[in-house]
Amino acid sequence: MGRNSRSLWRTLMWAAPGIDALRTNPRVGASFPRPPVAKASFSLPRFCSTEVEPHFSPDLIKIMEQRLSAIEHRSAFLQNLINQPEASPTEYSRANKELRKLRDSMELINELRTKQKEIDGLKTMMDENVEDRDMLGMVTEELDEAVKEEKRLQQLLLQSLLPRDDADERGSILEVRAGTGGEEASLFAMDIFKMYERYSQKKGWKFEVVDITESDLRGYKEASAAISGIGVYGKLKFESGVHRVQRVPVTEKSGRVHTSAVSVAILPQANEVDVQLRNEDLRIDTYRSGGSGGQHANTTNSAVRITHIPSGMVVSIQDERSQHMNKAKALKVLCARLYELERSRMHLDRSKLRSEQIGSGDRSERIRTYNFPQGRVTDHRVGITHHAIDDMLQGEILDAFIDALLLQQEMDAIASFSSSDP
Amino acid sequence: MKPTTLRPSFTRAWPCMASNFSTFFFQLPPPPPLAHARNIAHQVRHRRIHSSLSAPPPPLLASSPPSQPLPLFLRPPKYTTTVLDLLEWHSWAKSHRRLCRLNWLMEDVLHGFDPSLMRKAVARDDPDVIISSRADVQELYSLWKQRMEERRPFQYIVGCEHWRDLILCVREGVLIPRPETAIIVDLVGDAISKDEGLREGLWVDLGTGSGAIAIGIAKILGNYGSVIATDLSPVAIQVASFNVEIYSLEDKIEVREGSWLEPLKGVEGKVAGLVSNPPYIPSDGISGLQAEVGRHEPRLALDGGAEGMDDLLHLCNGAASMLKPGGFFAFETNGEKQCKFLVDYMQNQLPGSFCNVNTVSDFAGIQRFVIGFRNR
Ligand SMILES: C[S@@+](CC[C@H](N)C(=O)[O-])C[C@H]1O[C@@H](n2cnc3c(N)ncnc32)[C@H](O)[C@@H]1O
Repeated sequence: MGRNSRSLWRTLMWAAPGIDALRTNPRVGASFPRPPVAKASFSLPRFCSTEVEPHFSPDLIKIMEQRLSAIEHRSAFLQNLINQPEASPTEYSRANKELRKLRDSMELINELRTKQKEIDGLKTMMDENVEDRDMLGMVTEELDEAVKEEKRLQQLLLQSLLPRDDADERGSILEVRAGTGGEEASLFAMDIFKMYERYSQKKGWKFEVVDITESDLRGYKEASAAISGIGVYGKLKFESGVHRVQRVPVTEKSGRVHTSAVSVAILPQANEVDVQLRNEDLRIDTYRSGGSGGQHANTTNSAVRITHIPSGMVVSIQDERSQHMNKAKALKVLCARLYELERSRMHLDRSKLRSEQIGSGDRSERIRTYNFPQGRVTDHRVGITHHAIDDMLQGEILDAFIDALLLQQEMDAIASFSSSDP
Repeated sequence: MKPTTLRPSFTRAWPCMASNFSTFFFQLPPPPPLAHARNIAHQVRHRRIHSSLSAPPPPLLASSPPSQPLPLFLRPPKYTTTVLDLLEWHSWAKSHRRLCRLNWLMEDVLHGFDPSLMRKAVARDDPDVIISSRADVQELYSLWKQRMEERRPFQYIVGCEHWRDLILCVREGVLIPRPETAIIVDLVGDAISKDEGLREGLWVDLGTGSGAIAIGIAKILGNYGSVIATDLSPVAIQVASFNVEIYSLEDKIEVREGSWLEPLKGVEGKVAGLVSNPPYIPSDGISGLQAEVGRHEPRLALDGGAEGMDDLLHLCNGAASMLKPGGFFAFETNGEKQCKFLVDYMQNQLPGSFCNVNTVSDFAGIQRFVIGFRNR
């Protein structure tokens, strides 16, 4: 075919899905330095302090006070114990360990107590200086400050007392799968996948493609990635679920809007130790061109399939040119899935409440709609709509949704915190 | 329509690194400056940390003489082609998909290329958009013909093989490392983790070929120990040295030319670990090999004599004399029969020399390796 047959060349392009899926752009030294987040567990969404305050009822304070003094007693008891010369080494180390866990809370409590003493002092001063207007003004100002500070400390303490997911600090495995809607769903799966990639880059996280299965039109039938960084899971966990898209597919001539869906799963990263993986439990299949293998065979098929025999779980990876790398990636995904399985088992046992909260990990739940004709994105769990769909897909405004979801989770937790017995 | 250059970065001046690969392919005088070698190694190491978004990678190499058969991915992208020509070639090559790894070839040729730009060219209906390439389109046609008609191994076509987490350069005259062989490095890793003393010792890879096992071991040794890699084939010696240089392991791996134990004079009884993947195919099996192997890979790397055991038996004896007490060995074999024979040989013909002699299977469940330790 020659240069004259211009009209045919588009067909060529469509017929060459491989080209478009080439990922030939290595990010040299892909890890971005990121300052360690001090007291990461206390970092609240910006607008949180104001939004949560209405819930800071006297009741809540009372409950919290009870918990705080329980912690203080416990801490004093343990401190006393490790000062006893007759404490056994096991007792000692156990107590020490528990103390370490309480340390962050204790620091805050001590700060809070100091503040509260200061407030008491200021109040007494006020009582004693009812006459002196200047003095009174000054003291009132100081008192305001101190009360504000007390609130802040209480806020932090509450935060530290709320149940926390140990996996929040971990990295994640992202899995995107095209659902109903055929090619259009695959193209949207690709958009979504890239949205998370851009978002990750913005956060300074490392985003590594694990595997991609293309559709005929160069969309992604399935795609997965390993996202590494501090607190990745805690941020992304609410992204699990069904993302729905409404738009006119590129393939659609009549201009009719289609609805299709993509499912997203976010799993915490885990390693062989986390899931107590044993070599005997794995079956590893690789492509062999038959015969005796080794020096006899030259194959370029590097695909690896790992079967976890006890659970029957299967992970296949073929994205890398080296079998060894495919195996490493498959193991990473397998560990994340096993870990998730383990966690969901534990959660089932733990509370029925959880399943009513957001982020229950129910992947069939429709969580968000991307409506292109109206240029809007709506999250169905928090009822928020944003009208900048392009920015959204660029990973720009994902934070707005994530922050709202985090806040929602926190309020749910506070609600259950106050309703449960101290 | 006026051709548009999609990647201004490609027109950037390439840093001058012309002679870096001389040791590999040509005997040109100036030795490669170390910093440059590092630079290349850096590129190579990070190649697979890829992104599906675009970020142009820094240019690699300066103008090498066109005759120099560098691996494709290390060549400078000094050719330009139109999207149309490339797509035509791609569609032509794709019709032979049965045997191909077209995407990988594209990846090496268009390294640093952003596919979405190609899509934009299509959207703008502008097939004359120019993109940069590491090979001329005509060369791509001829390379692919070689693949199809002569069954030239894909790895020789692109000049490299992705093995473990390494990218190793290969060319005619040196065996393309096999995925099974990667397990030898894992076995060494296991041995080291159980006996940290081994980490600090001297390791030997006999018949190193591309240097695969030696480099794999050097990387897991980390800051400790050292490696000697040997081969009888001068081509293997060149290629191994080149790969060692790419990974900046010149200080850690010494490449020595000579037949099996010859180059080990002076280290008898001092070796902490000895590994080898020697030729093990019985001579009469050579003619029936897959075309890519039998017609293109060096016989010296494959032919193990009548039973395929000539070199393996020689190496067993060698292990007894070279290893220090407690030293580790691992050999790759043709399968169960050779494994059994070797284990039996070591126990009965070399009694008292070795302990914990075992066979290890590859992923396909074929008993592939014999491992063990020199008696203390
Ligand atoms: C099967 S290849 C293994 C290459 C490499 N170690 C690998 O695993 O990819 C065997 C190697 O042994 C080398 N060889 C053959 N005869 C040898 C000899 N007498 N002394 C040293 N090396 C020899 C060959 O040149 C070849 O590189």
